[in-house]
Order: sequence, then C-alpha cells, then structure tokens
Amino acid sequence: MNLTSLVFLIFCIMALGIYFIVPKKFQWFILLISSVIFLFWNNLSVSTVIQALLVLLASYIFGILIDKYHDNTIKSKIFLIIGISIILGQLICLKYTNLFSVTINHILKLLHIDFQLGLSYFNSLVGISYYSLIMISYLVDIYRGACKSQKNILKCALFMSYFPILTSGPFIRYNDIEKDLYGKHKFNYDSMCRGLVRTIWGVFKVLVISQRLGMFVDTVYGDLATYTGFYTIVAALFFPLQLYTNFSGSIDIIMGISEIIGIHLPENFTAPFFSKTLTEFWRNWHITLGAWLRDYIFYPLLKSNAMQNLTKKTKKIFGKKASKKISLYLSMLIMWTIIGAWHGGAYTFIIGSGLLQFLIMVLEDTLEPLSNKINNKLGIKKEVFSYKLYQIIRTYLLFAFTMIFFRASSVGNAVEIIKNMFVWNPWVLLDNTSIYTAGLDIHDFRVLIISLTTLFAVDKLSRTGSVREKLFKQNIIFRWGMLYILIFAIVILGCYGVGYDPAAFIYRQF
Amino acid sequence: MENEEIYERLNNVFRDVFDDESIVVKPETTSKDIEDWDSLEHINLVVAVEQEFGIKFNMNEVTTMKNVGEMVDIIKSRI
Repeated sequence: MNLTSLVFLIFCIMALGIYFIVPKKFQWFILLISSVIFLFWNNLSVSTVIQALLVLLASYIFGILIDKYHDNTIKSKIFLIIGISIILGQLICLKYTNLFSVTINHILKLLHIDFQLGLSYFNSLVGISYYSLIMISYLVDIYRGACKSQKNILKCALFMSYFPILTSGPFIRYNDIEKDLYGKHKFNYDSMCRGLVRTIWGVFKVLVISQRLGMFVDTVYGDLATYTGFYTIVAALFFPLQLYTNFSGSIDIIMGISEIIGIHLPENFTAPFFSKTLTEFWRNWHITLGAWLRDYIFYPLLKSNAMQNLTKKTKKIFGKKASKKISLYLSMLIMWTIIGAWHGGAYTFIIGSGLLQFLIMVLEDTLEPLSNKINNKLGIKKEVFSYKLYQIIRTYLLFAFTMIFFRASSVGNAVEIIKNMFVWNPWVLLDNTSIYTAGLDIHDFRVLIISLTTLFAVDKLSRTGSVREKLFKQNIIFRWGMLYILIFAIVILGCYGVGYDPAAFIYRQF
Repeated sequence: MENEEIYERLNNVFRDVFDDESIVVKPETTSKDIEDWDSLEHINLVVAVEQEFGIKFNMNEVTTMKNVGEMVDIIKSRI
C-alpha cells in the first residue's frame, strides 16, 4: 500500500475515523488491527505470517525473560543473545541469502570451479528491516534497564507493527512511544490541522518533486546507450533530490498521520542538503537510523574491551591522538558496512551507502588540518557565505557520487554510469531541445525549479524552528491560501503518469 | 568523596581527553559547550572517567546522560 495512493487515503480515513469513534480504551486495538491489515496487504501467506509471528514471539517472550532475570546478569544476557539471534537470523535469511550466494558464486568462478549456488527469492514482509531493528532495540533497552517489558502480547504486536512507520521509518524506541501508542487520545482539531498540513507537504514532496525527478532519472539510467555524458551527469545530480523528497516526504506523511491521532514520532531529517561536510550531512539525514546504530552498535563497539585494548596497544606505538583514531576508524568501518548492508543485500548498497560514506568521512577528518593550513596560507576566509556555499555544494556532489552506486543495478552498472559521464556532449544542455527528450518537458523543468526553490526555502527556514509553527502564527487568509496552493499544486502538478508507478517508494524496499 | 574533589578530578579528565587546558566543567556543562565533544569523543570521555574513578557506566547511562551534573550523580552513586 503506497503512502500516496488512493487506497492508503481511504484506509487512513477509515482507520482514523474508527479510532476516534470507539471507546478510548480500545483505540490502541484499532491501531493494531489497522497495522495487521497494512502488514499483510497484498502479502498474506503462511510464510509471511510465520515471519511476523517469529519476531513477535521472540521479542515478547525474551523481553519478559530478560526483565524477569534483570538481577541475574548472565541469565538475562543469554536471553538477550537468543532473542537477538532469532530476530537477526530471520532478517539475514530473508534479506541476505542472495548476497552470500552471489559472493560464493564469484569466488567459485575465480577458482574455475564449475558450480554455482542458486538464488532464492523469499517473500518478505513490508518493513522487515524496520521492525527487526526496532524489536532488537526493544530487547536491548529492557536489558539495559531503559524500559520494562510489555506483558500484553497484543500491545507488543502493535509496537512492532505500528503501520505508518513500516514503509520508511522513523525508528522508534519503546520508552519514547509507549505512552502515546497505548494512551487515550481525544480528537483535537488543532492537532488534526497540524497533522494535515504536514501530510499534505509530504504528498507535495513525493508527487510533485520526487516522482518528476524520478521520470528523468529512470529514463536516463534505463537507457545508457542513448543517454550519455551530460544526461547521466544531470541524472546523477537529480537522484539525491529524488531520494530526499521521496524519503522525507514519506516521513512527513507518516508523522502527519501520527500527529492527528496524538502519536509523536522522532524527526528523521533536518534540512540535510545545507550540511557543510558529509559527517554533518549524516547527522541530518535518516537521523533515527544514525541514532540506532550509535546507541546499539557504535558505542558498545568503541567501549568494548577489544577496542579499548587496541587503543592502549597502539598508543605506545603511534601516540594518544592517532591511537584513538585507529579504534574510531575501525568502529566506523564496521558501522558503515552495516549501514550499507541494512539498505539492501547487494554490494551496490554496501559500497554506495556504506563504504564510500566511510571513506569520505575519514578523508574529511584526516585532511582537515591540511585544508586549514592551506586556507590560512592563502588567506581564505571560512566564515563567509561564499565558502559555506562551496562546502554545501561539495558535500552535495560527494553524496551524489556515492548515490550512483546506491541507485545502480550492479557494481558493473555503476562503473558504466561513471564512464558514461565522460562523454563530452554539453550541447544537450544548451540546444534547448535535447534535455527535454529524457522524460521531462520544459513545463516539468519549470515546475521543478519552482517546487525545489520552495523546498529549499522551507528547509532553510526549518533550521531556525518549525516552519509549521511560523505558518500557524500568520493570519487566516495567508494560512489557508498557502494550504490551497499546496493542494492545487498536488492535484494539478502531481505526477500520476502513465507507465509510472505512483509512488514506488524508494526506501520501501529496505 | 566531596563534590569539589569529583569536579576537580573530572576537570583533569576532560582537559586530558579534549586536549584543552582551559576547560572548566560545571554541572550544567553539555556537549554543546565543548567544541570537540561529539558522539565520537563521548565514548573516549566515558572510558577515561571510568578509569579515573574505577567505576563502570552502563550503556543506558552512556546514551542518556545529558550534562556533567548527571555524570557526577552517577559517579557519586558508584563510589
């Protein structure tokens, strides 16, 4: 069920309508039923039911056991390990079997052994990457004493499957959401208005901007023989914007709907394209994934005895600063490989959204002193607008480069795309006709310029506080005027194009 | 151990970890007040504090402590 489809709209209206009609103590149960319907929509089979039940039972049973034996460190640790192993095991089996098979097949081929493993295509549930990680954090939080286990299995099932977040997140923590999720909520007109505004803004981002950019990107990447040189460069520059508007637009829809029913979710983006380094960029992009990895992988890893011993040993050889960096970079390498793999069981993801990010961040960190030295020598001011703009553009270009791998169908395909960029044909941008042959006409480009300008203006404003709050402080004519413009823009300019899947959410597959 | 002594020893740890002799920590000091105190340095700081006071923070404390005051409260409860 796509977040911008008519089916989802009807589904939400029905779910939210019933939610506010039933007695308040049953509200959470309505959310559970809606979530179960959403989870198995188009995907109901014995296998998918078993998948969901396995994760639910592992989280529920081991959650209670970890809680029960909280004072017995060994027992609670064993239950934690078993619980995590079950959840992680099903995730790896369903998402990464093919990655292992492909790797082994490559090795067999290199060794000239005439045997190839077959690839399997499991039918996994929507949101498997989200709910698996969410339930792992649930078990770890109980173990760490950050929260208590949920004794009602149906309430535990709701935490696992809360339907708005299944497609694109954000990652939720039990402690943060427990009150809102199971609480009693009265219909609130103000919350509804605020939630609706955010939802509509999200739909605008997805249907007007992301889908439109997608038409160009898909056309170019789908026919690299025809579209070479500057077509490929423009497509590579468009893709991060397509991804951002799709992903953050989905998050706006999700957070808007949740706000209407009184459930507050954590923010996942804070204007990432205004970041001056890739490190800063990742603090503003998919924030809840970053926080999840920091709290459950990166911190424990850095604090582990192995890493501390490594720091101690390397300190004697390389000195204090360098030894800290060695453990840091090693932990970062592990974490970024996991981030890459989380995005998908293919090398394109591990390279694009993992290893390349790691490499650039390490370079940013190690080259900073040198860059400062050069800037000082040349008298380049760092605090002026032009230098900041240069940093913002540089970060965007670096991210766009990494995303070539992320978007490509294989590593070979990514290399082909990069090679393709070196074909010299700048006239396709200048002859006033060629660029309009790749899925978008002149009208589409005009719409893109206006809507992207609006997006960046809103993003810039959001860095100094909530744009919605600023809007709600305005006079009624301005408020409603803006809202109508947005709605009309979606209706008139939204891309529901023939042959284009309306809202094939890029992030949905993860 | 008196508050004063804890802050004095903590101050030395902070100065050592962040290589900045001008640091003076107060209960309300947060990561925003010290330039290099990011999520990466946070663990180095935590480990250095653990070694200084011979205590262990649990992971929940590591990820939720908001300022130096909260860190000192945990230290006081352990020593």
